[in-house]
Amino acid sequence: MSSGEPDAGAFGRVGSDRVSPQELDVLLRVRDSLRSISFGTVLIVVQDGRVVQIETAEKIRLR
Amino acid sequence: MSDARALSLIPGLTDAPVKLTFRGVSKAYATGSGTTVEAIRDVSFDVVAGEFVCLIGPSGCGKSTILNLLAGLERPDRGEVLLDGAPITEPGPDRALLFQDPALFPWLSVRGNVEYALRLRGTPAGELRDTAEHWLQRVHLSAFADLQPHELSGGMRHRAALARALACRPEVLLADEPFGALDAQMREILQVELQQVWSELGNTLVFVTHNVREATFLADRVILLTARPGRPIEEYRITTPRPRQFDDALLRSVVQDIHERLSKEVERAAGEEAIRQDLA
Repeated sequence: MSSGEPDAGAFGRVGSDRVSPQELDVLLRVRDSLRSISFGTVLIVVQDGRVVQIETAEKIRLR
Repeated sequence: MSDARALSLIPGLTDAPVKLTFRGVSKAYATGSGTTVEAIRDVSFDVVAGEFVCLIGPSGCGKSTILNLLAGLERPDRGEVLLDGAPITEPGPDRALLFQDPALFPWLSVRGNVEYALRLRGTPAGELRDTAEHWLQRVHLSAFADLQPHELSGGMRHRAALARALACRPEVLLADEPFGALDAQMREILQVELQQVWSELGNTLVFVTHNVREATFLADRVILLTARPGRPIEEYRITTPRPRQFDDALLRSVVQDIHERLSKEVERAAGEEAIRQDLA
């Protein structure tokens, strides 16, 4: 990694240990999504460096 | 779209009251040769108010039977079918039905078809025209309001049937493969329109289809049924916000998952059938 300007990812600057309020919001929502399902998929959609959507599909066996 | 809306999980659906209930329902039919065919056995599920539920499964899994029971066109042999906690015993204006065939009255114009339904619902004569016009506009048929059904394309006839069903503002919309006979493109257009209208009206929707992609694209919850006798074996709760994209990665993975489960189920059913024939 170069020593200049850090790479920007979906969570803003790479290399910072601090969690910004926006990041915390996303993390809490991901946590809620994970807590809401036992089997299935959680999908995080990123556009232009921002998390724009968190989707879940829970699969439930009935038999 | 604002972040708050885009990020929200399906809001408060679990807090909504239960609208429809199936409790231990079984139904069999007598055939012409004197035997009985068990359409569904011991089926139980709830649908909460405002929920969009798709029923999917191989042919013969009792999808249409479940819908007919909800519509009040048939009675269960065993178990209970409830609307707002009260048994469903007959058809009512609180539940509208959409079939694969648009079932328009051929002797009435498109407008006349919608107005007829409104009149049955008790709409005052003075409001008939405006209300019909509003719903025809919603499905982009205003310009064709004075045509007879036979003068319309297949897709337009389905849109007219949708307008007629929605104009009565039913609390529950029951749809039995309503887009089954349409070409892929018209099907997608109507799927998007139905989704929009449902988002605005917030009525409860039970939609039967054998198209996995359609079910996954539309529903909050997809219930997978197995065949002969029909029973729910799996369900998928999908929180992807609307309007949904056809190429959504999550929806694609759910479609694939359901396809795999269904083909296993069809193989299993075929295997059982072969064993039965060997024994016979």
